[in-house]
Amino acid sequence: MKKALLIALSLGVTATAATATYAAVDPEKDRQELVNFFMKKNPNIKFEDYHMGAYNYSADKMAQYESVEEFPPYLDAIDAGEALYEKDKAVYDKCFGSDVSKVRVKYPYYEESKHRVQTLESAINECRTAAGLKPFKWKKGPIAQLSAYYAYNARGQKINVKINSEGARKAYEAGRKMYMTPMGQLNLSCAKCHTYNAGRRARANILSPNLGHTTGFPVFRAKWQALGTLHRRFTGCQKNMRLKPFKAQSPEYRNLEFFEAYISNGLPIDGPAYRE
Amino acid sequence: MLKFKVKQICTALALSTAFIAASPATTMAAEPTAKALEEGKKLAFNRSKGNCLACHAIKGGKLAGNIGPALIAMKARFPGKAGKQELYDIVYGKKARVPKDISMMPPFGEHAILSDEQIQKIVDYIYTL
Ligand code: HEC
Ligand code: HEC
Repeated sequence: MKKALLIALSLGVTATAATATYAAVDPEKDRQELVNFFMKKNPNIKFEDYHMGAYNYSADKMAQYESVEEFPPYLDAIDAGEALYEKDKAVYDKCFGSDVSKVRVKYPYYEESKHRVQTLESAINECRTAAGLKPFKWKKGPIAQLSAYYAYNARGQKINVKINSEGARKAYEAGRKMYMTPMGQLNLSCAKCHTYNAGRRARANILSPNLGHTTGFPVFRAKWQALGTLHRRFTGCQKNMRLKPFKAQSPEYRNLEFFEAYISNGLPIDGPAYRE
Repeated sequence: MLKFKVKQICTALALSTAFIAASPATTMAAEPTAKALEEGKKLAFNRSKGNCLACHAIKGGKLAGNIGPALIAMKARFPGKAGKQELYDIVYGKKARVPKDISMMPPFGEHAILSDEQIQKIVDYIYTL
């Protein structure tokens, strides 16, 4: 059963490499296959619980997580995000609308006019720049706080990434390819850790499933003692793969985020989530 | 004798199999010394070298992962010279038990993560497990 999926998942990549005849990926079929894979692999984990990442695989860690949630360490960061929002409210409301609960769920999306993926963070900085404000630094600090504020206000809403054009489909496919392809000195791919070996341990770290990967971002990580964006996490994983990471908000990471988010469609947003 | 060095040279130069047969294998110490085994263990445990513990349980290793099988009873599972050669090939990356685009086992030799000599030492060490 695992084999079957592995073949399905690697089909696109292998087919392109081996024959150069190009089989277009159908994102929705792809997503359903991935969901089925995880459902069969762990029948006890409910679909809607996949926003919980690696915690689903360990009762101990889940208990620790729940006790942390009693006094969440990220509340100050959300307050900081709210303060940032209030400070330039007119600017943000002009870009995103004044209902702060309706922003997070729109991202990421494929921006047809610019032929690229727009993420919440890239939109925040574009909005600031257009208003003559200095853009925030990517990955942590104010950008993550503001993004966390929008995420917090959208908690419980379902990830709903749309693919309605060939451009969007291609962006998905590019992200998927990056996810599947072994790279770097260790010959690792994202899929090796987060799909084929999800639930196993690398040293003491339990590997999360990619289903649900984007739901909790930006996350508050104990190791960072602060918030970090999804692209910060991508950077960290690529470093562990002994790769020179791409830049935050590079086209590569935007496509990767688009793929990871689409795959997580239907799961509840719960940013900023607590992670070890 | 194990044909480690020869194999590597052949990969590098893409020489014919006829050459492998004709060429004598490099001589490595038949019985590794205690010191060499200790070095092998260090290489296997070191996070920036083998880092085998990231994925394999190994006797005496702390916080081991469970992505790969426990490295245990190696002599019994990989008997004789051929068995040891197979272990070398697995660590080197020449022999994959699972297709390489899926396997987590890094190709330590093929990707020059470790030198032939380091792989040899690690294999000698895990052979004692
Ligand atoms: C060698 C194994 C490994 C590889 C390869 C790897 N990661 Fe990770 N990743 C981890 C570990 C360990 C964690 C922390 C535990 C976890 O999964 O939440 C993590 C965490 C994450 C998280 C956070 C999940 C959460 O719930 O907070 C995301 C997102 C992620 N990785 C994406 C990727 C992407 C995308 C790639 C490829 C570019 C990748 N990873 C490659 C090991 C890996
Ligand atoms: C990132 C994960 C990872 C690391 C690091 C790793 N391995 Fe592996 N290893 C695996 C996996 C997974 C397998 C199972 C077969 C496969 O997938 O190719 C494996 C298989 C093996 C096997 C075959 C065992 C058997 O019973 O069939 C040996 C021997 C081995 N590894 C030795 C090592 C040594 C020695 C090191 C360190 C120098 C190491 N491995 C580092 C993941 C890893």
